[in-house]
Amino acid sequence: MTNQWKLKEIVLMAVLGVVFGIIYLGFFLIGQGFRNVLAPFGLGQFGYEIIFGIWFIVSIIAAYIIRKPGVAFTSELIAGVVQVLLGTTAGPQLILSAAIQGAGAELAFALTRWKDYRLRILVFAGMGAAIFSFVWNLYSAGNIALAPWLLTSMLVVRLISGALLAGVLGKWMSDQLAKTGVLRGYALGKERRKQREKGAI
Amino acid sequence: MKKEPFNRILDVNNFSFSYENPEAPLLNNLLFSLYENETVLLIGASGSGKSSLALCLNGLYPEAVEGVSSGNIYYRGKNIREFQKGELNQRIGIVFQDPESQFCMIKVEDELAFTLENRKIPSLEMPQRISQVLHDVGMEGVEKKKIHELSGGQKQKVALASVLLLEPELLILDEPTANLDPLSRVEFIDLLNSLRQKRDLALLIIEHEPDDWLDMTDRVLALGSSGKLIAQGPANTIFTKHAARLKKEGVFFPKCYMPENKNFGVRAPLPSSEEIISVKDLTFKRKRHTVLQNVNLNIHCGEFVSIAGENGAGKSTLLQLMAGLLPYKKGKILFFDRELQQWNQKELRKQIGYVFQNPEHQFITDTVIDELTYGMKLNGYTEEKQEDAATRLMKQFHLMHHRFSNPFSLSGGQKRRLSVAAMLDQTPDILFFDEPTFGQDASTTGELMHIVRQLQAEYDVTIVFVTHDMDIVDSTDRAIVLHDRNIIFNGNPEDLWEREDVINQARLRLPYRIRGIQQEGVIHDLIH
Amino acid sequence: MISSINPAMKAVTIMVPGLLLSFTFDVFTPLVYFIFILIITFTLADIRPMTWLKIFSPFVLVALTSAWMATLYANQTFSYGNVLFTIWGVDITEGSLMTGISLGLRSLCFVALSLLFALTTDSTKFMLSLMQQFKLPPKITFGILAGYRFLPVFRSEYQILKQAHRIRGADREPGIKGRIKQFRRYAIPLLANGLRKSERVAIAMESKGFTGDKERTHYHQMSIQTKDWLFFILFAGMLAITIAVSYSLGYLNIFGRQF
Repeated sequence: MTNQWKLKEIVLMAVLGVVFGIIYLGFFLIGQGFRNVLAPFGLGQFGYEIIFGIWFIVSIIAAYIIRKPGVAFTSELIAGVVQVLLGTTAGPQLILSAAIQGAGAELAFALTRWKDYRLRILVFAGMGAAIFSFVWNLYSAGNIALAPWLLTSMLVVRLISGALLAGVLGKWMSDQLAKTGVLRGYALGKERRKQREKGAI
Repeated sequence: MKKEPFNRILDVNNFSFSYENPEAPLLNNLLFSLYENETVLLIGASGSGKSSLALCLNGLYPEAVEGVSSGNIYYRGKNIREFQKGELNQRIGIVFQDPESQFCMIKVEDELAFTLENRKIPSLEMPQRISQVLHDVGMEGVEKKKIHELSGGQKQKVALASVLLLEPELLILDEPTANLDPLSRVEFIDLLNSLRQKRDLALLIIEHEPDDWLDMTDRVLALGSSGKLIAQGPANTIFTKHAARLKKEGVFFPKCYMPENKNFGVRAPLPSSEEIISVKDLTFKRKRHTVLQNVNLNIHCGEFVSIAGENGAGKSTLLQLMAGLLPYKKGKILFFDRELQQWNQKELRKQIGYVFQNPEHQFITDTVIDELTYGMKLNGYTEEKQEDAATRLMKQFHLMHHRFSNPFSLSGGQKRRLSVAAMLDQTPDILFFDEPTFGQDASTTGELMHIVRQLQAEYDVTIVFVTHDMDIVDSTDRAIVLHDRNIIFNGNPEDLWEREDVINQARLRLPYRIRGIQQEGVIHDLIH
Repeated sequence: MISSINPAMKAVTIMVPGLLLSFTFDVFTPLVYFIFILIITFTLADIRPMTWLKIFSPFVLVALTSAWMATLYANQTFSYGNVLFTIWGVDITEGSLMTGISLGLRSLCFVALSLLFALTTDSTKFMLSLMQQFKLPPKITFGILAGYRFLPVFRSEYQILKQAHRIRGADREPGIKGRIKQFRRYAIPLLANGLRKSERVAIAMESKGFTGDKERTHYHQMSIQTKDWLFFILFAGMLAITIAVSYSLGYLNIFGRQF
């Protein structure tokens, strides 16, 4: 699989991992803000649920830009490794969590045979990652001990977060990037050019 | 006498290349050869495809960008398409312009080992080869250092070392000194000159400002704006016989072939004696490290001041302090006789403009027009007034056709112009520039200086420039030289050129105007 | 000492308790293991206690939050035992309190394990050993390293962006809309530059003869030695012992079932 990928595409995934490594920090602070408000009611973890979707955004952006099978999975995995290099306090296990999330996002693209990159598919990918990570967290974070009504509402919040913060935001950011002209050498940039040429005719 | 070139290394045979549309190729039907041991200078207008040509020659393009090519390139008689992946790269090495983005490892030794590992050199031989090549480029003992902690000049030497480890026959240098300060630039060129003789290297040098390379150049290739080779031959014929053609195509000339020395405009009328900024006993520390110590400085209304000095001397820090971007604890900075920290931020931003080294850092909207009206909106201008002011700026800065373009997608020169225009939504009293010409080509620099002169003359704006370019320093009203946390020179540029001690201490270089005279003097002395 | 352990092996070792501790829901098991990690951290790992404390302390609050949530809202399986007290109409049982404390302690174990890894591991060597021992393709290995190398560049770029926006008054926009705009203003230039740089560095690497070929020589020859296996056995063994002791003392609880 990796043989079909260009080195620049792999470096791109790593760079996404680094840039979002910086951006995650910002979101982590927002999450803590929510947490502080919700904590007295015992709903502090919800603070992080709200922003959880941002963790899947690398998958969405990379897949939307590069458009090849396996990109959603691998980019999330690479972002996980980069987080470990950056010294994350989630430790090497994060690589495993990243792989699971990435698989969830990849599933959505695989169902369309990696041909459809419209917004709805990106949203599905974000929700796929949300479901996979939710199941994994039942075990890894001990969430299985929580009351069913709480788990259900956590899942709903995470699904919405995945749909919006990963799917919608990911597409929006990639489109913004495409406008700057730096994606000329990638599938998304090429698609844009074709659209423009068609429009011109 | 120059060496007689014997054998051909590369033959480029009716070669064309384009990123997308083969109808309008970037490189058009090129026909030339490169010979053993010769040094060739490749010149051309901005965007004429010089860098793309370099990557076509070592076989990475068109594949890497999925471009289209026609015609052939032969390396020692063998078509480069027939080489294994990675094989040709070892015979033809490239050093790139940007020191930040040509490394993949953190430490110097690992970066150099990366090249050796690619060549499958046995591990046991590596340490010796690494220390040898570092010695060759004058960088002994930096093996364990982190690359990002080195200076620009040192990074380029490490980049050169890593490419030399390929033991190439042909070395391509793609504007390797564009991001270096003047002295590092001279050092790098001298280093290459001695290396090419020791190692029997052929060099292909891509340069916007070819002056310093001319002494070692055997031949010049000139690319025109349509991607065609418009002239090749020895420098003294190219820049004389073909001068008219080259000029028409927008190719930059070495200064020594310019009919008259193009100076960056005339000096404006003498500034008034009123002080716009005065710095008193300013000391600034970053963590425990003292960046500036007891600095005193006055800047007068309408003055054009340049600040020069080595990297890390605190130039940018001083500029940021004067612009109110950094808080200070010891000393005073008065802006119109009032302490900076007592000014209302909004008021201050109206009166102080600041242009950053990389124009992209300043862009905050999606289109050129939004970029220009951003500040006006914040300050509650009417729509009509916004439109008027923006149109005036777009006209003045030649951006009319780019009204709805994304700022990031503009060319280098257009970005630079936009970044200045965006500061002029209301005419500021003072404009700070942090190395605005760094890594820019000669025409962008010339354009910028023209604009600055206009601002100073017509609107009486005070200008402060941090710069490495001594030709710019030469054209300002006053030069300030920083060294070792303090100002070691403050006066007329004319007087600065007399102070050899200051020039050496601060690692400066004389401007071309003076160097030219001195060189002529040497030749004069030799003849008589 | 621990910094000399093969990094890939270290990562795997850290992952073993990182994964298996998630089975346990009693207080004893994670507590004992937490103490064990602390002992290792401050005897074998050459980590400055102040540095460690600075990074670790905020996570105590995070742990408390998750403990409190689990205590309040544990489901039936986990709320065994007597009701200890009632808050906001919710009965807090022995079981739910234990579950909460257990989850909190477990998350502290994870953070301590992560720090033990992060503070003793060289990034380059970690990647190299993933390539040499775990067959990560060179293309991915060096691609990641090339991207990771830009971290300081992005950091300083972020600082410059902040200043540039201040100059333009872009830091003065209030409200959520202003926040979103601000996010875009940082993210897009950072990413645009990042993309350009990743293209350039990929070209530079290939210009140095890098093809992604798996056959290559190694300047740093990474290997797994006896001490690496001992390290693994120490952590895995200690986990087994802790669980065994916990079981024999009757504390062990797996998924709410007492053993």
